[in-house]
Amino acid sequence: MSELRKGFHQDIDTAREELVHLAASVTELIPRATAVLLDGDLEGADYLIRGDDEIDARSLDLEELCYRIIALQAPVATDLRQVVALLRMVADIERSADLATNICKAARRIYGHELDPKLRGIITAMGSQAEQLYNEAIDAFVTNDAAKAAAIDDMDSYLDSLQKQFVQAIFESHAAGRIDLQVAVQLAMVARFYERIGDHAVNIGERTRFIITGWMPEHKGADRYRQRANGTGEPPVER
Amino acid sequence: MPIGTVSGPTALVSPQWSDDVSMFRGGQRAAQLVQLERDRAARDRDVAEAERHRLRTALDALGTGVVLADSNGVLQVRNEAATRFSGHEAILVKSAVDALLRTASKGQPATRTVEFAGPPRRVLVVHASPLADGFALATIEDVSERVRLDAVRTDFVANISHELKTPVGALAVLAEAAADSGEPDIMRRLAGRMVDEAHRAARTIDDLLELSRIELGGQAVQEVVDVHGVLLEATERARTMAVQQGISVIVGSVGHATKAVGDSRQLVSAMANMIDNAVKYSDEGSIVTVSAAEHDGWVDLAVEDHGVGIPARDLDRVFERFYRVDQARSRTTGGTGLGLAIVRHVATNHGGDVLVRSEEGVGSTFTLRVPSAGHPVPAARDVTPGVDPAVVFDVAEGAT
Repeated sequence: MSELRKGFHQDIDTAREELVHLAASVTELIPRATAVLLDGDLEGADYLIRGDDEIDARSLDLEELCYRIIALQAPVATDLRQVVALLRMVADIERSADLATNICKAARRIYGHELDPKLRGIITAMGSQAEQLYNEAIDAFVTNDAAKAAAIDDMDSYLDSLQKQFVQAIFESHAAGRIDLQVAVQLAMVARFYERIGDHAVNIGERTRFIITGWMPEHKGADRYRQRANGTGEPPVER
Repeated sequence: MPIGTVSGPTALVSPQWSDDVSMFRGGQRAAQLVQLERDRAARDRDVAEAERHRLRTALDALGTGVVLADSNGVLQVRNEAATRFSGHEAILVKSAVDALLRTASKGQPATRTVEFAGPPRRVLVVHASPLADGFALATIEDVSERVRLDAVRTDFVANISHELKTPVGALAVLAEAAADSGEPDIMRRLAGRMVDEAHRAARTIDDLLELSRIELGGQAVQEVVDVHGVLLEATERARTMAVQQGISVIVGSVGHATKAVGDSRQLVSAMANMIDNAVKYSDEGSIVTVSAAEHDGWVDLAVEDHGVGIPARDLDRVFERFYRVDQARSRTTGGTGLGLAIVRHVATNHGGDVLVRSEEGVGSTFTLRVPSAGHPVPAARDVTPGVDPAVVFDVAEGAT
């Protein structure tokens, strides 16, 4: 391997390592945000909200490293897929950190309101499930395991069902007059935040598959679209 | 290989030697020397290998994580404790260690605290110090238990003064108000409140006495105890409160043959406390199940409720004296905050365990595990309370 190529692969390795580190930092944010929400920890909420700036800064640095690799090294094939996937994963991770921050902001808004144990239990479960999904996604990426990456999508359905259960429990709690409408709406949003964090973990899994196989789930839909277009070059007419 | 680079004993058999017979003998001798030298080198290698292995084993036996890197930042040694992390925690520990090693290799010692929300919450102190030749050594120390114990100590002092001072303060205020008021109606109402507060203080003191008796009592009396009887008596004690709150306490079928070894008074006291808790933290109309099961030389006395449950991060703290998950609720339930501390001490006195499994909004199951009379007493095991029973079963199989 020439010296030039060595530097190039070092750059890609650095970018991969930084992505993993960034993802791990965000994974740790999930249980912390959950604790802030359940304990009504205002100080902790402020701390985590401030901490998001660091994630933003590191995401930008990583993004720039990727641009530099593309501009200076003109990668091809797997290497190109790798860099492009990294760029898109950074966005997923950065967004997940924002969602964790949003959970903390919701904690500030519902401060002082007591939550039913059932609601608290489901929040705990959603938090640990989202954390687990993220851990699986990181693991799949680090080990280049396409099968594991594909399994994350299936695991995500449990988080989705928890979200539905949670919304149901909010209705019950509200109907029984134990929480007011404002809190109920905030909690529904919180459930959505956890669910979105899970979706971003699924995205990371899909990008990992893309690096390894070049395949993306969107290909299925795209193929259907092309079949309908039937090679005419015209957009398909829906009947 | 150029001759010039051949050195040491192998030089003796270099092709410079002629075929002369006397020389041939010399060659034989040389070959012997070579063999001896080779054996010695092999022995040295073995000794060095054994030494390395011993050091490695010693390093792995350490509870503290140790990482050694050379001047290029390449890891030379990483002991077992340093690799004991998983998931994102492993990645964050590694990046902290790498960053500190980089600083240390430039001659600057550095320390960083790494925290994980868990649960269980973990606090690690990572420290790196420079060694000779640009090498750097990092240590990873788990201080979670120390942090937890500090919290236990400060909370205990705060809580005991709160529990004892609140009723006494209330008594003083009520008495003053009574002294100032001449009206019999108000006097009667104040007196009623004083009685309540006095009872509250008395309950706390009773529980404290009970706890210190169990604590100081050391080893429990070793008599054969009828488990069914213990359950019935403990349930009877909680009956009044259960009826008041509209909660049914059901005692599961326990064979009369099930006997435990221990102190029946202590066991009844522990079980009554567990049932008391279950009733207190259940909603009206729900069911509390009390049961006993025998296995592997142990009797498991369990109390299951469908109440509020315990947040995961509080699970390892509920057995502390005066610890409360929800401070606000403690006044309404009227507990002393000592019940589970008593249960834990009874378990310890019997060489058993107390285990808890709980989920918020679903319910909790507390299990008191004591030696069974049907079997020889199993060896006491070192298991911390709060461990999931499923995990403990494995430990039990290994120990018996």
